[in-house]
Amino acid sequence: MGDSRLAEKVYRAYATFFDQAEAERRWNPYRDVPWGEINREVSDDLILVAETFCAVESYLPDYVAKGINLVRKSFGQAWFAANWAYEESKHSIALQEYLVRSGRRTEEQMFDLQDRLKELEWKLPFETARQMTIYGCFQEMATFYIYVRQEARAQTEGDGALRTIFRLNARDEIAHTHFYEDVVKLLLEEDRAGTLADIALVTRGFRMPAADLVPEYDERVAVMREAGIDRDTFLQKVYFPVLKYLGVTRRELVEAAEADRKPRTAQPYRTGEIETWRTTTLGSPRRGKT
Amino acid sequence: MKNRSELIALFERKATEVAEREIKGVDESTVMSALGIDSLGMLELVGTMEKELGIHIPDDQLVGLTTIKDLIELIEERAAA
Ligand SMILES: [Fe+2]
Ligand SMILES: [Fe+2]
Repeated sequence: MGDSRLAEKVYRAYATFFDQAEAERRWNPYRDVPWGEINREVSDDLILVAETFCAVESYLPDYVAKGINLVRKSFGQAWFAANWAYEESKHSIALQEYLVRSGRRTEEQMFDLQDRLKELEWKLPFETARQMTIYGCFQEMATFYIYVRQEARAQTEGDGALRTIFRLNARDEIAHTHFYEDVVKLLLEEDRAGTLADIALVTRGFRMPAADLVPEYDERVAVMREAGIDRDTFLQKVYFPVLKYLGVTRRELVEAAEADRKPRTAQPYRTGEIETWRTTTLGSPRRGKT
Repeated sequence: MKNRSELIALFERKATEVAEREIKGVDESTVMSALGIDSLGMLELVGTMEKELGIHIPDDQLVGLTTIKDLIELIEERAAA
């Protein structure tokens, strides 16, 4: 199958995603959150969760700039990235709005946080479009799961506004997960061995975005207790379900990882049309742990 | 089926391959996360052991493993299954 066929299929996946988003998933952070249902007495922990995820979502300029460059040659993926950025932009806006309207943070504190965040820059954890698409499956699904858990918690604490924000964010995150999964399925059809090797690579180097950038992230997660995602939960709720959807077994990944550890002859890690998925400026894919 | 010390030796050998650095001194009480192999790396390590031992551990049983003893007991159970 040629490159253009792959591009066509990816574009179709995007068209489906975008159509559904336009029809069923558009929301307005100022108008669609029941701001009157804020509970000003929610726990400090829940506020910390909202602030931390507001911070993680606030690296959006880096996520967009770096991500979209990687996929600029793929029409479907580049347009997805543009739309994804718009949807993600609402996640931090809604959380920031909540923190200020609830009176738990001042506008000034939020701008200070934004300034501190900008001192550091998020870097791509993986180098190729295919690796980042695979990373997207796990990262979006993990974020979805975190938001779903926080939605339940906000409900328990009687805050209808925060509950709605978590729900709306979660609904976007799972839609993002499905798009990335659909693209990875296409990539598996195109080049199963290469894509498996990349899944194994991403598995080894996976970390949640901005975990090393957000000020005091580890302390935040420790305080937030269940807001983070521990190993077992990640496996059960994110990793295994994604592999299952992709139709990939652990055995296949072990074999791909073993093959990857064996010394390689210099040439091509990936050939043909898959080359177009790789940015021309980043050089060859990083091997081993990232 | 290998005995426990053979399984630990196999674990050390596979862990060294996966981590790409020498891992030794493991015993049954070793906490897996303390070996500096992250959770998903551990998954790969367990996978290489399954392959070598010719056993299959269902995904859901890989959740909740903490020490080497947990893993060995799981392997013994699966080998007997
Ligand atoms: Fe988001
Ligand atoms: Fe997302």
